[in-house]
Amino acid sequence: MLIPHPLLGLRDAQEFTYLGDAALIGRPAPEAGEAAFCDYVFLRDNPAGIHRELWFHEQGDRSWLVVTRNTLTHEILGAELATDVARRSA
Amino acid sequence: MTRIDGGLTDRGTTLGFRFNGRAYAGHPGDTLASALLANGVQLMGRGFKYHRPRGAISAGSEEPNALVTLRSGARAEPNTRATVAELFDGLEARSQNHAGPLERDLLAVNDLLSPFFAAGFYYKTFMWPKAFWEKLYEPAIRKAAGLGALSGLPDPDAYDRGYRHCDLLVIGGGAAGLAAALAAGRAGAEVILADEDFRLGGRLLAEGGRIGGRPAADWAAEAAAELAAMPNVRLMTRTTVFGAYDHGIFGAVERVADHLAAPGGKVRQTLWRITAKRSILAAGATERHIPFRDNDRPGIMLSGAIRAYLNRWGVTGQRQAADPVAIFANGDDGHRTAAQLAARGVPVLGVIDPRADAPNLGGYETFAGAMVTGTKGRLGLTAIEVMRNGRAEWLSCGLLGVSGGWNPNVHLASHHRGRPVWDEDHLAFLPGEGGPAGLIPAGAAAGQGGTAEALADGLRAAGQALGDLGIAPAPVELPAAEAEPARQEAFWHVPGKGRAWVDFQNDVTVKDIALAHRENMRPVEHLKRWTTLGMATDQGKTANVTALAVMAELTGKAIPETGTTIFRPPYTGVSLSVLGGGDTGKAFRPTRLTPTHAWAEAQGAAFVEVGPWMRAQYFPRPGETHWRESVDREAQAVRAAVGLCDVTTLGKIDVQGADAGEFLNRVYANMMGTLPVGKVRYGLMLREDGHAYDDGTCARLGEAHYVVTTTTANAGTVFRNMEFARQCLWPELDVQLISTTDAWAQIAVAGPKSRELLSRIADGFDLSNEAFPFMACAALTVCGGLRARLFRISFSGELAYEIAVPARYGQALMERLMALGADLGATPYGTEALGVLRIEKGHAAGAELNGQTTAAMLGLGRMVSQKKDAIGAVMSRREGVAQDTRRLVGLAPADPARKVVPGSHLFAPGAPEDTAHDQGWITSACFSPHAGHMIGLGFLENGASRLGETVIAANPLEGERVELRVVSAHFVDPEGGRLRD
Amino acid sequence: MTDLTPITALGGTAPRVLGAARLTLSERPELALASLALGRGAEPPAPEGLALPGPGGLSVQGALAAFWTGPDQWMVEGADLAETDFAARLQQAAPGAAVTEQTDGWACFEIAGEAAQIEALAERLVNLPRDAYAPGRASRTALHHMGVFLLRRSPDRLAVWGMRSAAGSLWHALSDTMARMEALHDS
Repeated sequence: MLIPHPLLGLRDAQEFTYLGDAALIGRPAPEAGEAAFCDYVFLRDNPAGIHRELWFHEQGDRSWLVVTRNTLTHEILGAELATDVARRSA
Repeated sequence: MTRIDGGLTDRGTTLGFRFNGRAYAGHPGDTLASALLANGVQLMGRGFKYHRPRGAISAGSEEPNALVTLRSGARAEPNTRATVAELFDGLEARSQNHAGPLERDLLAVNDLLSPFFAAGFYYKTFMWPKAFWEKLYEPAIRKAAGLGALSGLPDPDAYDRGYRHCDLLVIGGGAAGLAAALAAGRAGAEVILADEDFRLGGRLLAEGGRIGGRPAADWAAEAAAELAAMPNVRLMTRTTVFGAYDHGIFGAVERVADHLAAPGGKVRQTLWRITAKRSILAAGATERHIPFRDNDRPGIMLSGAIRAYLNRWGVTGQRQAADPVAIFANGDDGHRTAAQLAARGVPVLGVIDPRADAPNLGGYETFAGAMVTGTKGRLGLTAIEVMRNGRAEWLSCGLLGVSGGWNPNVHLASHHRGRPVWDEDHLAFLPGEGGPAGLIPAGAAAGQGGTAEALADGLRAAGQALGDLGIAPAPVELPAAEAEPARQEAFWHVPGKGRAWVDFQNDVTVKDIALAHRENMRPVEHLKRWTTLGMATDQGKTANVTALAVMAELTGKAIPETGTTIFRPPYTGVSLSVLGGGDTGKAFRPTRLTPTHAWAEAQGAAFVEVGPWMRAQYFPRPGETHWRESVDREAQAVRAAVGLCDVTTLGKIDVQGADAGEFLNRVYANMMGTLPVGKVRYGLMLREDGHAYDDGTCARLGEAHYVVTTTTANAGTVFRNMEFARQCLWPELDVQLISTTDAWAQIAVAGPKSRELLSRIADGFDLSNEAFPFMACAALTVCGGLRARLFRISFSGELAYEIAVPARYGQALMERLMALGADLGATPYGTEALGVLRIEKGHAAGAELNGQTTAAMLGLGRMVSQKKDAIGAVMSRREGVAQDTRRLVGLAPADPARKVVPGSHLFAPGAPEDTAHDQGWITSACFSPHAGHMIGLGFLENGASRLGETVIAANPLEGERVELRVVSAHFVDPEGGRLRD
Repeated sequence: MTDLTPITALGGTAPRVLGAARLTLSERPELALASLALGRGAEPPAPEGLALPGPGGLSVQGALAAFWTGPDQWMVEGADLAETDFAARLQQAAPGAAVTEQTDGWACFEIAGEAAQIEALAERLVNLPRDAYAPGRASRTALHHMGVFLLRRSPDRLAVWGMRSAAGSLWHALSDTMARMEALHDS
């Protein structure tokens, strides 16, 4: 696969490490309690279709990316720096 | 000899080769098959199951029959298709799958037993008794069946790999591919044109047609020359694009030296990963045969293959030039072969055509409304039975061409589960939707198989690709090609008794398909698995569609209702050697060496792989005959004097920024923000689920500058997780991270005499306990001005330091410390002694930090700060984790002579030794020179309050039980006085 | 000055040099290296007049050269400065930035020769489009499973920075590929 890196253009997926559901960016506040953390740590969406997921450009610029991918076709609909996503949602 | 004039071989040069030991001659440009046919050799091998004589049926990579073993010794390569093996001087080939000579195969008895080998025979027969399968049935069947055998020797040749990127990949260099490449190349696109053949032109070389009034092969050569001269076009011949992968990535194998007797210094093959923005599938088409009784004899070929041998190689294909040739065809295509043969003076018996209105293109007789119903000839065709108007007649015949229409080579278009679509006009499956994005089928692969149509379709496909790429097209005018009659009528097989082969390579007949139908194995997926149809190395290139048509007829359904077959990579077989990409043995994966590696080698150290690292395991001395002697001595030297160990492999991460302290507070379970400058603190990281993850030290070098260490094993993932925390969890923090693992050579200097040794190199630095106490760190210079960092930390429980210098000086520093410490008993120690020392001191390592343990279990519960948030803090307090009462304890055998075995499980004395009564397990164990017997660490229920009790360590795998005393995990200096003095 | 003798990443006292396939491969132990990262929201400095380049960029000013390694992060090379405290010099020239000594964290191998040969070598080593190693470009990628920086200093020069601890494996990958290329041209 090719990942459209927002700064470097198309780069081969071999340069990346996959983590999974981009919901991991939304870590609960500590006071949210155990139930919120159980959801955060153990419950992930794994949709057949459009999915937002985290990829780390380990053999590249060390950016974490949020990649929107169709898990059925592998079509990639977009990618952005995870830090931008995190700042927006903060 | 059946060689006639013409063709594209170099008749001026003769190449000698051997087949089954007999010497023959051929010419450059020949394949092994064309050269054998030129010598009148039709018999090239034996069938898979029945061991019937077989010859080449094709002139290309679809060949199911003519599989030979090429070369000998370690270079012997089984299952090579003679039809694509390029002839070289001295080539040696042997036929396969027979016992005794090819002409008198002892295993041909299987043919007489054929009623027993019908579809599903193995499944039904070799089931009972069950134990017989592995010992008796399978070995016997494997010996009798199968194709060529591997040499069993290491591959002597080199392989390479590489990566190419382009705007447009054109797969196939026939009429459509050449036209597309010309159009894209002239427009300035970066083009790769790949073709499996050693000469560009595809069927243009085989058809004998004309383009612009000249031989089509000449036009192909000119087009190839124009392309070769374009700097933006790369021609890759002898290159098979074997698979289409996501986003325009293709796998291809270039056979760099397969056409040479030996590669010399060259690589044999290169694996290319091609990334293309757009691609054109111009892979051509494969001719179908028509199954009829005994249609598998040598001398029965595809009609288009006969045309290829005639036009490209100047070979007519009978055993004797005078033998008559017949064609059995359901369309006009077969008539073209007959007309061409007749025009070249080859005796043509006629064209047998089931169509009532079959044409005649001149020079031969047409048997309209007729079909072939039988053949004769033990080792090669001698006669055919022709049925016309209900009357059968045997006619003498030495070569029969069969033409059942053409199947577009849709393989790559179906690699992403793109479903081919049945087209009733073409009587063929065409590439359908859902294939690889950006792949445009063209030419015969898209059903546009006539020369003129293929040229035009290549231009169309290039235009589409250029449009997608935003490249302006350049004008391309192609000369006109002759029209070729191409009318055909559906005719899939000749009904009747006897065996009519559909899949030659796996010996599947029409009868087998009928049996599958009777046994309700009707969906094509079941049909394939029940009969093994299409599951040989050729993936049924010449069989699948015909089989589908036969099944459709049996079920009374239309072909598209019956199913479709799709193909998987690879298009043709790919050797494991080339997939390996050339790096074998020690080069298989990268190796990381410590800065003192060469020095350790010179000391005769034994090494151990730790992930990618090679670490010194122990340093044997003369007279030591067992590793334990060396390890005991090294550990004792640390306890009594001073030891030196390269610990560079521990991960080091530089953490800077105004919020560095706050950031570390959040990634470590314990507080780091409060650490004073010039101090080191032990740090424990949790996973977000609350379990212990990694440990190390954190040193504060400046207000906004820390350096943290990780375990060797987790260096990469800890850095990744810290970057995740920095970028994704707390992007508001001002913190910067970078790995410095390799930058500093770090040497542990451990033992009561370590301060004395270091004082001999520390340029005036005050090492006194007051000035530089336990857990201090500082930058200093050593050895007369060399920049260094010193950390007073201990993994052994002794007075100890770690000193870091720029890696280039690591080896010189080690040598200097050894020299200056000779009188102090300075001793190098390896990872084994390191392990002994840490077990004696009760320090957790990988076996304790195994992902299932909590901080409390490790005895580090108080380190998890309750005052702050940190990764894993909330979840570490949840029920089940917080209540886990297992604790790390030391374990000593009641009988000091007994062994302590890691992995053993712990039970209360007298309790049943089963899961329900399991009380923990032993994580680490070693012989302790300090204690004089084996010791262990382990997790035990309520371990903290059970010191002094006895437990049983059970090792049911080896039937061992050992009585152990529960003791403090700190076998050495439990008060910790030594490391603080 | 210390009287200790340093060794190169390949373990020698002198840099290793090898010629094959009309290319020269040489170890460059005299190059200093330090990383430079910006604090949150800080403006990029211009240490000693060196402009820090954008993604994929490489810039040179006097003895210094910089290449982009990630958002707000660069590596800065110092020609013939390996035996100095290069990080300290850079920190002085870029106060406020996070500077980390990297000279011995990495090993530099430089390939010199005709542009076409360099590109033929590069396409056998790294899976990047050619513009990623066009003259004046710098890219981080994987080479035989090792992380490397590729710096195309000029049409006839390509530098490969790899982990110092894996220098032997990196040298092997480069030299072996050159040897295979040489064999291709033999015939």
